[in-house]
Amino acid sequence: MQTRSIKTKELSALLDQLRAAGVEIIAPARAPGVGRAVVYRRVSGFSDIIMGVQPRGTLKEHFLPASERILGWRRGGAHLELLEASTDCAPRIVLGAFPCDAAALEVVDAVMGWDYRDEFWFNRRQATIVVSIACDGGDESCFCHAVGLSPGSTRGADLMFVPVDGGFQVEVTTGRGQAWLEEHQEYFSEAGDSTQAVAFQERATTRSSQRPRPHMESIGRWLKNNFQHDYWDQLALRCHGCGACTMVCPTCHCFDLVDEPEGPEGGSRRRNWDTCQAATFTLHASGHNPRPGQGARYRQRILHKFSIYPARFHELLCTGCGRCSRVCSSGMDMLELLGEIHDMASITEPTTSPEARNEP
Amino acid sequence: MKELQDLARRLLLEGRVDIVIGYQQGPRGVRPSFVTRPEQADALIFDERCVHNLVTYLSPRRAHLAAWPRRAVVVKGCDTRAVAVLLRESHIDREDIVLIGLRCGGVHRSAEASGPLTAESVAFRCADCSIREPELVDHLLGDPRPAPPGNSRLAERIGQLESMSHEQRREFWNNEFSRCIRCHACRQVCPMCYCERCIADKTRPRWIESSAHLRGNTAWNMIRAMHLAGRCVGCGECGRACPVGIPLGLLNRKLAMVVDEHFDYRATDDPEVPGPLGSFRSDDAEEFIV
Repeated sequence: MQTRSIKTKELSALLDQLRAAGVEIIAPARAPGVGRAVVYRRVSGFSDIIMGVQPRGTLKEHFLPASERILGWRRGGAHLELLEASTDCAPRIVLGAFPCDAAALEVVDAVMGWDYRDEFWFNRRQATIVVSIACDGGDESCFCHAVGLSPGSTRGADLMFVPVDGGFQVEVTTGRGQAWLEEHQEYFSEAGDSTQAVAFQERATTRSSQRPRPHMESIGRWLKNNFQHDYWDQLALRCHGCGACTMVCPTCHCFDLVDEPEGPEGGSRRRNWDTCQAATFTLHASGHNPRPGQGARYRQRILHKFSIYPARFHELLCTGCGRCSRVCSSGMDMLELLGEIHDMASITEPTTSPEARNEP
Repeated sequence: MKELQDLARRLLLEGRVDIVIGYQQGPRGVRPSFVTRPEQADALIFDERCVHNLVTYLSPRRAHLAAWPRRAVVVKGCDTRAVAVLLRESHIDREDIVLIGLRCGGVHRSAEASGPLTAESVAFRCADCSIREPELVDHLLGDPRPAPPGNSRLAERIGQLESMSHEQRREFWNNEFSRCIRCHACRQVCPMCYCERCIADKTRPRWIESSAHLRGNTAWNMIRAMHLAGRCVGCGECGRACPVGIPLGLLNRKLAMVVDEHFDYRATDDPEVPGPLGSFRSDDAEEFIV
């Protein structure tokens, strides 16, 4: 695949042209309102975009919205008419996706296409070109290295931008990305000198790889053997069960289906984000709850990511973005707990020493 | 710090409590700490980053803490107002809990903050601090502290809200609520949200739509605000927990001002003062009843 470059001015012009052609542009930008946090949102041009800041919200809401109408109904006397919701998606481009967020799309593809092909998800995936931006190495909550990714990982991205003076070096990573670039080639230049881009990536890799790297395979084995363990209740003591971690997680994808009447004559079936951290997630109609406490609920989140999903789809349900740790108002920390499980696993697995998790 | 650690150790050694809930350094700033063994007491700290309201861990809704029925909790003066509500509403018994009060000169709005408190960094809840020295406690620790710096942002935002017309205010809150994703983190962290079955979780009938559309979001946020009117202690934990940054503290603060104006009630650390919803007064102005 080729490497090209683009100047900021050209990128701005390209976005204007895309918008004029009816392409929706999703990029990191400040959210409206009081908080003004950076989120992935629809933008009107380059000046809105804040490149290189990991957004607080995830990209997933543009593929799996927090709430979405998937079916409607209308009643006429004894007749009930079902109204299909459109699964069409207009052409879009995501510009400035973080590598951990781009990779998450591919991770979640597995479950979305598993026993049923989710049209809403895949039509959006197919309509969207994902352009990621190389990460500068993240902060102390990041652990992409531990889950097989890196600040320069191109997984899930069609193209990746690496910041250089006055613009970006562009790495093409998929055939779709190649075709898209060729379609807009007048905005791109030859790659030129790659020194700056290489230096950026090296700095990022150094920063990222210095962080602890718990051994995910031995953690997976420990999880399999320690469903019943005092650790879970101890761990969950400070957890409020608020589920904010699951909401900002790029790979958490569980949802609830609800039917909402909208007046006497009709209504909508909607798909809404749900969270395993809520007691109602598993509450039975009988009143029984198989996950009665926060320990059991927190265990579920960890098991799903590092044991259940890998068993079924052969990969981790985590891209190490660290948002769960950053968002938690009570200071739960994913990298810390993975380290603790690593250490417990090392007692039964001599090959996994406690020191090993700190080795780059 | 040492007197706090010593006290926690003593309470556990003497078997007075099963657990001491305080603060410790975490990977990202300060976080709640759960000390069940005397030797863990050295982890306890208290400083300007201790923004969390730990009284929420006394709520009977927390089934996973039931294994430690006798709890000691580290509280700031403002936190004791939450204890007062739980006592007033008969949700905890005073003799079941040990309150370790810390003299406080204000906290940052973020547990990850560093440096001295400033008008910009100080938490909303410190804006009109009246209890720097908690009274409703069993132990009072720490040196007297100066008053926290005034919070310029809160006054400014309340002023902005009040200068708006009803339509502008609706538009302002619609804009904020439209970002709500209905995770209910605000409820989960709230020391006053102790209902075992929240109205938002009831499905027969479904009082509040669970969907994150403006209809459901407005219903949820307004009903929660109304359930907190005259009960909210203004700790701001809801706003701190909100993953999409809705200024819930601002909503509750404004509501507290309305309650004060109409019912002459302000959040207090005195559990004997009746709440506005739990008392009847023949001289209530009732001007909102048409």
